[in-house]
Amino acid sequence: MTTVLAICVAVLVTVSVYLMLSRELKSVAMGVFALGHGANLSIIAMSGSPVLADGGLRNPPILGVADLVDPLPQALILTAIVINFAVMGFLLTLLIVTARRTGTINVDELATEDRPDGGRAGGDR
Amino acid sequence: MRMSSLILQTAVRFILPLTFLYAAYAALKGHNGPGGGFIAGLIASVGFCTYRMSYGDRAFHRLLPVHPRWLVFVGLGLAGAVASLPLLFGQPLLRSASTTLHLGGSEVHLVSSMAFDLGLLLVVVGVAVGMISRLGEELDR
Amino acid sequence: MVTASPYLVLVAVGAPALAGLATMLLPDARKLTRLSLATAGPVASVVLVAIHLGRNGVSPADTPTGTIPWVPSLNLDISFLVDGLGSFFALLIAGMGVIVVPYARAYFGHDAASLARFFPTLGFFTSAMLGVVLADHLLLTVLFWEMTSVSSFLLIGWDRDDADAGKRAMQAFFTTGLGGLALLGGILLFGGHTGIWRWSRLMAEAATISHDGTVVAAFVLMFVGAATKSAQWPLHDWLPGAMKAPTPVSAYLHSATMVKAGVFLLGRMLPAFGALALWLPLLVSIGAVTMLLGAVLALSQDNLKRMFAYTTVSHLGLLVAMYGLGGASTAEGVGTIHWDLTQIASHALYKAPLFLVVGALAHLVGSTRVAQLHGLWNRPGAGTKAAAAVLLLSGYALAGGPGTVSFIAKELFFAATDHATAAHPLLAVVGVMAIAAAACNVAIFVRLAATVFGLRSGAGDASETPDATHREPDSWSFMLWAPAAALIALQYLGGLVPTLWNRTFSGIEANVHDEAFADGLPWAWEPFLHPGMPLLMSMVAIGAGTALGFSRWMRGDLVDVHARIWPATYRGILRGGHRLFHSLQTGHLRHYLAVVFSVLTLCIGWAAWADPAMLRPPAGMDPFEYPAGLLLGAVVCAAAIALPMVTERVVRVLVLGASGFAVVGLYLVYQAPDLALTQLMFEIISVILFLLVLRLLPRPDHRPRIRVLPRLALASVVGISIGWMTLLAGHAVDNRAEDAPTLGKFFEAHSLEGSEMTDGRGGEGRNVVNVILVDFRGFDTLGEITVLATAVLGVWSMLPGRRRHREEEDLAVDTGQGAQP
Repeated sequence: MTTVLAICVAVLVTVSVYLMLSRELKSVAMGVFALGHGANLSIIAMSGSPVLADGGLRNPPILGVADLVDPLPQALILTAIVINFAVMGFLLTLLIVTARRTGTINVDELATEDRPDGGRAGGDR
Repeated sequence: MRMSSLILQTAVRFILPLTFLYAAYAALKGHNGPGGGFIAGLIASVGFCTYRMSYGDRAFHRLLPVHPRWLVFVGLGLAGAVASLPLLFGQPLLRSASTTLHLGGSEVHLVSSMAFDLGLLLVVVGVAVGMISRLGEELDR
Repeated sequence: MVTASPYLVLVAVGAPALAGLATMLLPDARKLTRLSLATAGPVASVVLVAIHLGRNGVSPADTPTGTIPWVPSLNLDISFLVDGLGSFFALLIAGMGVIVVPYARAYFGHDAASLARFFPTLGFFTSAMLGVVLADHLLLTVLFWEMTSVSSFLLIGWDRDDADAGKRAMQAFFTTGLGGLALLGGILLFGGHTGIWRWSRLMAEAATISHDGTVVAAFVLMFVGAATKSAQWPLHDWLPGAMKAPTPVSAYLHSATMVKAGVFLLGRMLPAFGALALWLPLLVSIGAVTMLLGAVLALSQDNLKRMFAYTTVSHLGLLVAMYGLGGASTAEGVGTIHWDLTQIASHALYKAPLFLVVGALAHLVGSTRVAQLHGLWNRPGAGTKAAAAVLLLSGYALAGGPGTVSFIAKELFFAATDHATAAHPLLAVVGVMAIAAAACNVAIFVRLAATVFGLRSGAGDASETPDATHREPDSWSFMLWAPAAALIALQYLGGLVPTLWNRTFSGIEANVHDEAFADGLPWAWEPFLHPGMPLLMSMVAIGAGTALGFSRWMRGDLVDVHARIWPATYRGILRGGHRLFHSLQTGHLRHYLAVVFSVLTLCIGWAAWADPAMLRPPAGMDPFEYPAGLLLGAVVCAAAIALPMVTERVVRVLVLGASGFAVVGLYLVYQAPDLALTQLMFEIISVILFLLVLRLLPRPDHRPRIRVLPRLALASVVGISIGWMTLLAGHAVDNRAEDAPTLGKFFEAHSLEGSEMTDGRGGEGRNVVNVILVDFRGFDTLGEITVLATAVLGVWSMLPGRRRHREEEDLAVDTGQGAQP
């Protein structure tokens, strides 16, 4: 399973970085979102493969039975998901405010918005 | 903003009590089975959000008459108080109550950690509802 | 031996600053009280240092006072070294402070606001300077050193309306601050290498310090610090520029005390570093060049303050060269440095009066230019004549005429070069340069005297408009020249009747090697009884100088090319900074992200380069061990790859959601029911959030996409590296022994019941994940909900909400109506 997870992480991170480098802030937000998934999957891989030698699965980390999976990565991810949620809301609000103030969510147009010299030096090049 | 669809409204009318029930179950069971404050909070938030989407702002205010900020403040205060209470007894931060108070067994301990969990629940609900309803208000304008 | 108490010295160091601060409490009008209070500071310093010396005597250079703990964790404490060098400088600084304070009262006159501002700054400087010369800890010295730079900056930029003064202050601060950094670097290098952090230990273990590369580098850095502070070539230009400061400042900081901090530092370093092979050539060459350059430039100045500033530069060069010669020794093994403190004192005693009297002339005559002094001697007014007399007497000392300490001091230096030449013939050049510099000083005096007595008409027109404000004399006017007269009297006292001088200095002079001076300074006529090389050099200098003074050569402004260094540097820094800023801060989000991700991959690549085992595929890779998991993984990947390809925004959100729901499935496979539930709820809410927000955002513009290939390349590199790291780490977990101790197992073991090891936390819970969240790592969770609350507060503050919005509209309507007539 670790191999599958590693491939998923690679694909998710690739897509998210690709999206974050794009021109529209909407895509950037989606990239951040997907990056969260990738990071979480990468952490859960640290609990090791849940598949036992006989093809069955380990048990969830609830005491009472044997062969539990590692609970620590799960606790970390639980925290990460909830934080992700807060970051998401904040980021989307930021998008709305940006669009409202500047009339654009295009990264290149925003780059010339808030420079101290009004983007003249950027325009020279 | 409303997604005024009769089917959705009817469905939500049934879903809402179910989500609250499930949230309560998850919150109570959290220490021994799957669940806990965060999860319960998110489940309840889903219920609130779908209701808000289908019935609109005014009906939502009747369902949750307080501003979500109070949920956040009360939740934070509750969790902080539970966490720092042991300090008053010369114990380290966040030590569970059952080992500090010696009042007999699991009963006291359960109260302490559940209060902390309840704080988490309130904060999560407050944050989720606060964000969704504020964004919804923006859409209504 | 009982160590002396440091508290007396501590109070002595702090007294001027405290007194200066106390004057700020007084109302502007209380001038006399203010003056007494400000004078009390340096007076207290003099008295306290004297009491300390009376009790403990002048301590040897390796015996500090006791310590007061300050920052024990950094091994930094307060202790003082009141040896000959330190106590001499402390008395010089505090003593000059006593004289300058009343002079400043006379100089500023009725300008009560300036006085109120001046004394606290001056007190701050005096304390800082006392700290420099008395501190025992190397880092404490640096601390005080920087404080003197700051106070110098404040005092040069005194005139807030003068843009040039601000620039000059900046130049001085930049130059000396740079030197301070070099000094700090040198000290850190030296201390880290040798473990010596105190001057006293440096003296005690001077002989054991190895002369390896690190020590030499540390020495060079420390020398840069000393050289910038003492205005050595080629960075001397800040000192003439510093003449923008009020005259009391020029007299005190920029001739008598602060600029000597570098010389002081060299005096401290001489016992430890004097034996370095680099010491003699470095110090002597820089010092000698500075000495001659300063003297030549001084001769061609018209402005008196600038002229004396250049002579100060010249003399500082001489002092540096003097300490440089201290590194040499004659063939008989006798050191070639004699009575260095007398040399320093002599300069302070004639240069300070010169500056003080320039300030007096500015008020009495209304000018600081040589041309305006024509016939000064014959002008009416008692103050004018007194000022002219002090000017001439000080000028005579500047020229090193017989009968002054300055004459003997010059003899001492000539003797040193003479002795050193015997061992190093090349140093004869320094002797010639010294003669030339001395001749220039003589010429300056000759020209001043000729102008003052009206013997020759000045180079400029005497009827030019005055450049300083002439002021009507008041009851304090005598203080304009009296302090200068007192100081210059000491020059002649020491020169003509050296008994008292010798009594004072024989106790503190550490560098007396030549037996000819073992008993102290000679009587005024004695050098003439034993003619030798030094006297011959003096006579040549005086003769050549007199001839030069009366000649037509070297009149008019010579331009100092070094004056161009600073403006060019300043412009270069500004331009470079501007350019660098705009090349780094493009404002394009994706440039920043590209940098961040590139650095991340570089770090991973670096780790792989350091440990090539990272590049080997791990054992036990089996993608097909759990088919259902493989299927879920395929859905995650497919949804992710589809994400950038779809353009319809609602579909995009749904695709994003689909990938999230597949992740939920993966969590289930990984036996994480809590995670699956949380992720499920999170997906639902975020899809709602996204859909809401998308309606609020503008439609996408349909311009051509930015180039796909570089983006894709960077993204793939980042993704594959992170995926590879996951693969390695995950398999490392899979392949480790079943009974390997992990944190997870520790939490499992203590989940039902806490123990000593968990600090009493944990217990009574079967769901280990939840116990970790609320018990073991409860503090993290507390921080997390704080983050949540902060995020939602941010959302609320950015989107004002309906009620607030309505209020704002109402307000706008109200004010709109109010504005109508």
